[in-house]
Amino acid sequence: MMRALRMVTALMVVTALVAAAVPPGQAAPAKLRVAMILPGTIQDADFNAVGYVALLELKNTLGADVAYSEQVAVADAERVAREFIASGFNVIAFHGGQFLTIVQKLGPAFPDVNFVMESSGRIDGLPPNVWNMGRKFYQGFYTLGVLAALATQTNVIGYISGVRLPDFVASLNAVKFALKEFNPRAELLYTFVGDQNDPVRARQADESVIARNADFIIIQVNLGAFGVIEAAKASPRKVLWTTFYTDKYTLDQQRFAASLLLDFTKPYRDVVARISRGQRGGYYEMRPGAGMSLGVIRNVSNETKLRVLKVFNEVVGNTRRIDEIIDRIVD
Amino acid sequence: MTLLFDPQLFRLTLIVMVPFLIAALGELLTERAGVLNVAIEGIMVVGAVTGFLVTFSAHSYGWGLLAAMGAGAVIAAVLAYFCVTLRASQLTVGLGLFVFCVGLGSLLYRIVIGVRLMAPQIRTLPPLPLPGLSSLPGVGPILFTQNALVYLALLLTAAVSLFVFRTSWGLRLRAVGENPRAADVLGIGVFASRYVFTILGGALIGLAGGYLPLGITGTYSDGMVGGRGWIALMLVIFGRWTPSLVLLFAYIEALQFKVALVAKAVPPQFLLMLPYVLAILVLIKVYHGAAAPEAIMRPYDREERA
Repeated sequence: MMRALRMVTALMVVTALVAAAVPPGQAAPAKLRVAMILPGTIQDADFNAVGYVALLELKNTLGADVAYSEQVAVADAERVAREFIASGFNVIAFHGGQFLTIVQKLGPAFPDVNFVMESSGRIDGLPPNVWNMGRKFYQGFYTLGVLAALATQTNVIGYISGVRLPDFVASLNAVKFALKEFNPRAELLYTFVGDQNDPVRARQADESVIARNADFIIIQVNLGAFGVIEAAKASPRKVLWTTFYTDKYTLDQQRFAASLLLDFTKPYRDVVARISRGQRGGYYEMRPGAGMSLGVIRNVSNETKLRVLKVFNEVVGNTRRIDEIIDRIVD
Repeated sequence: MTLLFDPQLFRLTLIVMVPFLIAALGELLTERAGVLNVAIEGIMVVGAVTGFLVTFSAHSYGWGLLAAMGAGAVIAAVLAYFCVTLRASQLTVGLGLFVFCVGLGSLLYRIVIGVRLMAPQIRTLPPLPLPGLSSLPGVGPILFTQNALVYLALLLTAAVSLFVFRTSWGLRLRAVGENPRAADVLGIGVFASRYVFTILGGALIGLAGGYLPLGITGTYSDGMVGGRGWIALMLVIFGRWTPSLVLLFAYIEALQFKVALVAKAVPPQFLLMLPYVLAILVLIKVYHGAAAPEAIMRPYDREERA
């Protein structure tokens, strides 16, 4: 009898302690469950791979449950997002700039779920449960343009891009501005191959550019970069190249000039941490100095390196302003 | 005009041509035997990933290319089993295999390589200068310093052409595709022929896929075949195998990027579309009067009443 009484008393004490720990009217915070939707394969060693790395970082640093779905076409993204939501995921991250309309639709439909999306900048009228990560590629590409302007021997520079997205048009224009300022004699040969991940097409485009005497190539394709690099290797004269997202120095150490590195781990960690603190929507800008850095510059003179680094630091410090033109290619 | 006759353009045309040409040859042999292989795009994917992974692991182009051919042959054997032995719909089985192969390619790469921030690379096939020809002034260094597979593709074109249209074995092959019952009555092994040429065709298609990482990019990526298998299929179906059409398509594809550099007023999307538009226009003209093998896509049943 006494034993049963002691057990009941202990149970009551435990219940009272638990009740005291949770303030009235407030449920315990839900565990973070983050699902990422990626447009390409995570084994691309590029844009999707760095997104995947950022997702794993959320698991390691914030203890979030994570899941992902890769190679998701825009037409499929809404279905995939709804499946994640139905499975209890409370943060849905769209890694890529092509999912805006889906976020605009799902945000109001699921007010208890948080969404993270990427774009080229601020967007008015987003739902309150959406975080927008604006990527200012053009500011980083301006610096690569300076590098090209200073390093070219033939004064012909190639620019191989994939899809004509507003971000990429702004980056191309930024390179043009850099050439105008640092080497007005330089000619820029640019082409959009229509696909970010087709190395065969990218190689064809690069062969054409190199045939017209280009000796410096700025790469703005993802997996297509491998084709561009192969074309540079096959060229009888030395052709330098730059790339972005990840450091690709080991692919061709003799011709690699620099890489604009994008680290999504900090932006995603910051954004998801803020979500966990109750800040459900907002704008986070990725730009030089914030998730975007310039890798080691190689195969050019020290003087060139120093000048490029100086310009990059000016961009980081906002002491050098670059126009962002996304709707047309300037003359 | 200088743009159209730029020697560099012809060099690029030869590089671009190889996967189309070899895949089209493989498809041609298969179709001539009465089997339509619509898994061609998927087989190229498997050829590409297998060729890359074996070359990467074994450090040997030879093994890589053989593996690409072997993988293509195995998939084609599955197609042949379903379509020849089980007499299933060639279109349904082929499309099913296409989807399967696309997934298989991605899976194989994931299993062997995993997820990395730096994609593994192999050296692409080195140029093989042809003695005598490569030293010709002007065109020599551009046209006759290609890699071995470019020359192989051209030799295969001649060899397959001779085989199909100038030998008794080729006549038997065509008979199997045109009228399998008559061929059977004459003692030609219809089932064996369909198996052999479907598998041989699959091996060539696998080789075409293997050329992409080994000859052009030095690495493998999902989606790198990029519809080239479908284009090869189109070239065969419309053109009834005329290598000049493959060359023309490759030439226009190589040309588009040269035009893109000078014609800035033309939207890039239009230029990207150009090879396909021109190919379709030319092929429609060529297709006029061409006849597909009579028994293509029709399973042969020896017991069936005529």
